[in-house]
Amino acid sequence: MIQRLLPFFTLIALFVILSIASPNFLTSTNLSSVVRQTAVINIMALGMTVIIISGGIDLSVGSILALAGLLGTMTMEKHGIPLGMVVGLIAGMLCGFANGAMTTSLRINPFIVTLGTMGIYRGMALIISKGLPVHEIPPSFSYLGEGNLLGVPFVLWILLACAAVIHVKLEHTRMGRYAFSIGSNPDAAHYAGVPVRFHIIGVYSIAGLLTGLAGMIEASRLMTGQPTGGQGYELTAIAAVVIGGGSLRGGEGSVLGTLVGAFIMGLLANGSDLLGTNPYWQQVIIGGVIILAVSFDELRKRRMTS
Amino acid sequence: MLLQLKGVQKKFGGVVALRSGDLEVNAGEVHLLMGENGAGKSTLMKIVAGMQGRDGGEMLWLGRSVNFQNPAEAASQGIAMVHQESLLAPHLSVAENIFLGREPRLPLGWVNRREIVARAARIIEEHHFPLKAEWRVEKLSPAGKQMVEICRAIQQGSSLLIFDEPTSSLSEAETQEVFRIVRALRDRNVGVIYITHRLEELRAIGDRVTVLRDGETVHTGPLAELSTDQIIRHMVGREVTAIYTRDALPPGDEMLRVDHLTCQPLLKDISFCLRAGEIVGMAGLIGAGRTELCRALFGLDALDGGEIRISGQPVRIRSPRDAVKAGMALIPEDRQRTGLATALPISYNFTMASLERVSNFGFIDHGAEKKIAADYTARLRIRAESGKQLAGRLSGGNQQKVAIAKWLVGGARIFLFDEPTRGIDVGAKVEVFQMMDELARSGAAILMVSSEMSELLQVADRILVMRQGRISGELPGRTTPDQIMRYAAFEVSAATTGDQAE
Repeated sequence: MIQRLLPFFTLIALFVILSIASPNFLTSTNLSSVVRQTAVINIMALGMTVIIISGGIDLSVGSILALAGLLGTMTMEKHGIPLGMVVGLIAGMLCGFANGAMTTSLRINPFIVTLGTMGIYRGMALIISKGLPVHEIPPSFSYLGEGNLLGVPFVLWILLACAAVIHVKLEHTRMGRYAFSIGSNPDAAHYAGVPVRFHIIGVYSIAGLLTGLAGMIEASRLMTGQPTGGQGYELTAIAAVVIGGGSLRGGEGSVLGTLVGAFIMGLLANGSDLLGTNPYWQQVIIGGVIILAVSFDELRKRRMTS
Repeated sequence: MLLQLKGVQKKFGGVVALRSGDLEVNAGEVHLLMGENGAGKSTLMKIVAGMQGRDGGEMLWLGRSVNFQNPAEAASQGIAMVHQESLLAPHLSVAENIFLGREPRLPLGWVNRREIVARAARIIEEHHFPLKAEWRVEKLSPAGKQMVEICRAIQQGSSLLIFDEPTSSLSEAETQEVFRIVRALRDRNVGVIYITHRLEELRAIGDRVTVLRDGETVHTGPLAELSTDQIIRHMVGREVTAIYTRDALPPGDEMLRVDHLTCQPLLKDISFCLRAGEIVGMAGLIGAGRTELCRALFGLDALDGGEIRISGQPVRIRSPRDAVKAGMALIPEDRQRTGLATALPISYNFTMASLERVSNFGFIDHGAEKKIAADYTARLRIRAESGKQLAGRLSGGNQQKVAIAKWLVGGARIFLFDEPTRGIDVGAKVEVFQMMDELARSGAAILMVSSEMSELLQVADRILVMRQGRISGELPGRTTPDQIMRYAAFEVSAATTGDQAE
């Protein structure tokens, strides 16, 4: 049990250490900026959690983020913010739907399918925008990523709402339970009459929807629709899930774990900025943390089964 | 004499696979090794070929006591095994497979491809195999792959070749081809051990026979001196130790009717019915199509023809989901792979097939689920700490109970049990039989596939026997193992004592 909570303790320890080491850490400006920076990855990682629990993977979320953000902001230029938001979210969901549909109908490993769509979605974003970012965005749109509500960043509320919904979905609904069953043993789920394909497509669609939302937040923070945005985000999202106890073999993972995983990485990045660590070292540190976290988790599981 | 085994023993955990295996093989003979499923034939041969160690007994090779640590050591001494499932590298050529691991080298470690191909071609030509050295192995038929394995063995200069059921996946013509090769090997003074339970075709090539039963050698002698009946008697034995007896019920209404079901490549024209309150046994040898029949009925494989009726109504079952909706349940043979999610709690497994029952508008009622877990854990006497325990941490018998409970929760009425007692201890077996009996008494219909004849005789009201994808016979529940074996292993019309030498 203590080992299961290891990521949680790591996060707290990191928080305490940074509070002591840097006078600038425990300020509302800095903490708000950490929240804003991690919110995008966090929301993507929530979707990734559901996918990884169901035994899948999605490498295309970085590209979906860019494509959804781009389509959303382009719509906003002419038709206003609400329609832009809707278009961004639906674009994300359709991309996820396509990933799930291809994985199940072509019976190709999702790693390969989403490796392909990673390129396809990115290419589509570049073709549609002719490679140029969208700048003509209504100024009030910046509230989504940069505004405050009740004294904290607005994105924190969005993040908490998403986390609550996904948590309830996973732990308290049939869809969530089927995600665990399919991820733990797809054959047993199929033999038990679980509509496996339907639920896999659902899982990727939900992740796509969340990525679309993350894409809109990213666009709002930067006040541009960037066809080249979000590169490498997929790996950060996967890392957050895995640090939080998700297993790439499926059947394991939790919303709380993923939030903790994403914030650990957020704090590591923020801490190295504050302490003036060479930014090149940041990457080395984060990479090491991923490997360490997963090896501890494997050790725990091996001890549990023996 | 090439090989002599005396009192060889082997245990897997607590299960005794070989009690006392004796075998003598001479150069230039084809020695048949016969026995029921699980009699210990394959285990004995794996020990000979160095794939497994032995726990006791003696093994003499060319008069010297040997103890092979691995297959390579056995191979270096001249013992080679032709496997049931091909152990070749499919993407490499025939020649590369023949020389795999023993490639002739040029200086600098380069593989001498030209020599490999030339030498492989010579072996192939010498034995008139319908192969080409350059062909890729993945394109070959099962028979072709076996020929490559035989070439491999010959290339090693083997003086003893073991065939583990080589013809089970072959067509008639291919079988004849393998026989021709076996005869040619015998003529070159090679010893051949041939595992089989299809006797009819083996009169043609066998010289002597050794019969194993329950891990013990019960007979060995020239094949010509034995009638088919005598061999069957040796294989099944006389005594059937009863651990359970069941009083049959008067059967009720017809629950499941199957007419002319066909499912390529194996199942042909299968018709039978299950009635309420009935336990129907399904006997047959491995590969007869019993598991495939369960899969087809449960919508896991698409049918090529035939009709399924449930309670008189024709149904189309295209997926397990349809089957579950129609009230069917499949307890698969391979629990760990298809019956359970071993990494999830048992309570999740209980409700996996009937989550609707414990949820409202898609939301799971955790209280109801917990109650179901507690109920069934107690009712089925599942030894678990709580519903939260992971299914994979239970013993085999308790895992099987969870796999069965999954269907009880959903209220299924037609049960397909595929090898329900595999890998569980005697106490749990009796409990599984009791569960089946209770189900039957409550009006369910049960099909029970089992390779354990004694269990079928104890539990089933009547017994269907499958052979090579067809139902070859139907017997009353109080039949004898000899009768079952007759339908399972032999063409019934030819199952008299006739000597079928060519």
